[in-house]
Amino acid sequence: MTAMLEVSTASIGYGPIRAVAEASIRVEAGQVVAIVGANGAGKTTLLKSIAGLLPLSSGHIHFEGRDITAMPPHRRVGAGIALSPEGRQVFPDQTVRDNLELGAWSRNLSSSALEDAVEEQFNLFPRLRERQGQMAVTLSGGEQQMLAIARALMSAPRLLLLDEPSLGLAPLVIKEIFAIIRTLRGRGITVLLVEQMANLALGVADRAYVLETGRVTLSGTGAELLLHPQVRAAYLGAGH
Amino acid sequence: MLATYLQALVSGLAIGGIYALIALSFSITFTTTKTLNFAQGEFIGVGAFLGVTILYALSASGDAGSFAALSPAASGGFSYPVAAAVVGAVLGTLGILLFLAAIRPFAGKPGMSWVMSTIGFGIILQSLGLAVWGPAPVNMPSPFGDDVMRLGGAGVRPQEIVVLTVAVLLMVALDLVMRRTRMGKAMRAVAYSPQVAALMGINVTLVMAGAFALSSALAGIGGVLVAPVASASLFMGMGIALKAFSGAIMGGLDNPRGCIFGGFALGLLEAGVALWQAQWREIAIFALIILVLAIRPNGLFGARTLDKV
Repeated sequence: MTAMLEVSTASIGYGPIRAVAEASIRVEAGQVVAIVGANGAGKTTLLKSIAGLLPLSSGHIHFEGRDITAMPPHRRVGAGIALSPEGRQVFPDQTVRDNLELGAWSRNLSSSALEDAVEEQFNLFPRLRERQGQMAVTLSGGEQQMLAIARALMSAPRLLLLDEPSLGLAPLVIKEIFAIIRTLRGRGITVLLVEQMANLALGVADRAYVLETGRVTLSGTGAELLLHPQVRAAYLGAGH
Repeated sequence: MLATYLQALVSGLAIGGIYALIALSFSITFTTTKTLNFAQGEFIGVGAFLGVTILYALSASGDAGSFAALSPAASGGFSYPVAAAVVGAVLGTLGILLFLAAIRPFAGKPGMSWVMSTIGFGIILQSLGLAVWGPAPVNMPSPFGDDVMRLGGAGVRPQEIVVLTVAVLLMVALDLVMRRTRMGKAMRAVAYSPQVAALMGINVTLVMAGAFALSSALAGIGGVLVAPVASASLFMGMGIALKAFSGAIMGGLDNPRGCIFGGFALGLLEAGVALWQAQWREIAIFALIILVLAIRPNGLFGARTLDKV
């Protein structure tokens, strides 16, 4: 069976520096897959490449059986891949609603269908409904993260890439975000999650990969990796 | 005395309108691509000559006068707006060509090759213009004639009112487009971050090409607007573009409304100082610009960027 996403021996470099070296990753449809690892391990680089923002220096990316290695980023959105980037990156001088509407750019919706799509996100993230007329810059960090995820969902992706959704957020908000990830899986959206909070990510993941200095060093189910001594020592801290 | 001031106010607003329009055109490409078209001056000159050529072609019926001295009838009826629209379309296309040839290969890369490539594009364009039209300035009649009107004792040329009106209408329309339409919001998304805009599914290259088309069309229309006030020359655009650029820098290159303010401020200042001592005009303007930038390096309304060290 072919996986929904298949990254094969992908290397990615910034000039002479190789940030990711021959990494291979499979994501099956309907799963939540996590990539964990330390700061600077190449997690964000890998995710950006899958979204098309960084070219591979070697290797291939297949999505739903198609080779998308050379596809430009804006066309990957239309193909069914959406990235909620690290640091949220909401459009600060545009309203919450405008941010969401921009997320649906690739779908060319009629205004009533667009309204329905925005409404769907408001049901998933009720806080955004209250804030819809506000400029995104005025939102709290947690609200911005929700907006970034909702904006990515506006393109109706089959594969959602989430880059460090917990970054800089309060524990309660992080809990909310992870509850939403579970909800999304329930709705049949496949999620590839990059996260420094390894315990949270592995807790939700069906499958997970450990990335160390650009190489995949371990893989397994989320539960397996949670118990793996190497993971416990390196990312969960002794005694957890 | 009051009439003199009024006259200076009107001509300051008219030339300020042109500066503001061109300043805005600089801002459009700067915000979306972080590059500028340094051939904007040549685009203004070519726009003016193209306008004269179209008016000449439209009025080939005999009483239009010669190419170098068109009679006022040549700008009558719909000829002038048609000429302005055609110039906008042609220069817009030229802007896309400039983007593909002189910007896209260099944008986003280190170094400032695009500065040289756009200047080069302008020089090529000007030389081609000289080959086609020759170096002599030509006259473009105003659609409302060249008779000076009396306005509260002040002498005002009809074209000054045309310039101000059209420039303001264009700027208001663009402001609405940028704030209210899907396309405008996508352009602002690209201005914030081309990468994040691409994640929305926006074809960033297309938006950037569109920004250059728009910016160049404005330069061309600016040329058609200003030509009847002075006279059309392939060299007339340089000075205008330099002042407009100064206005944009003064108002804040990344703030479209700031650029419009800067353009008008410069036009009014120019007219004001000229009342007193014409030869002090440029000195006063550029001294002020240097002073403003010394105090506010990003312009009056520019975003204060904090560089992370």
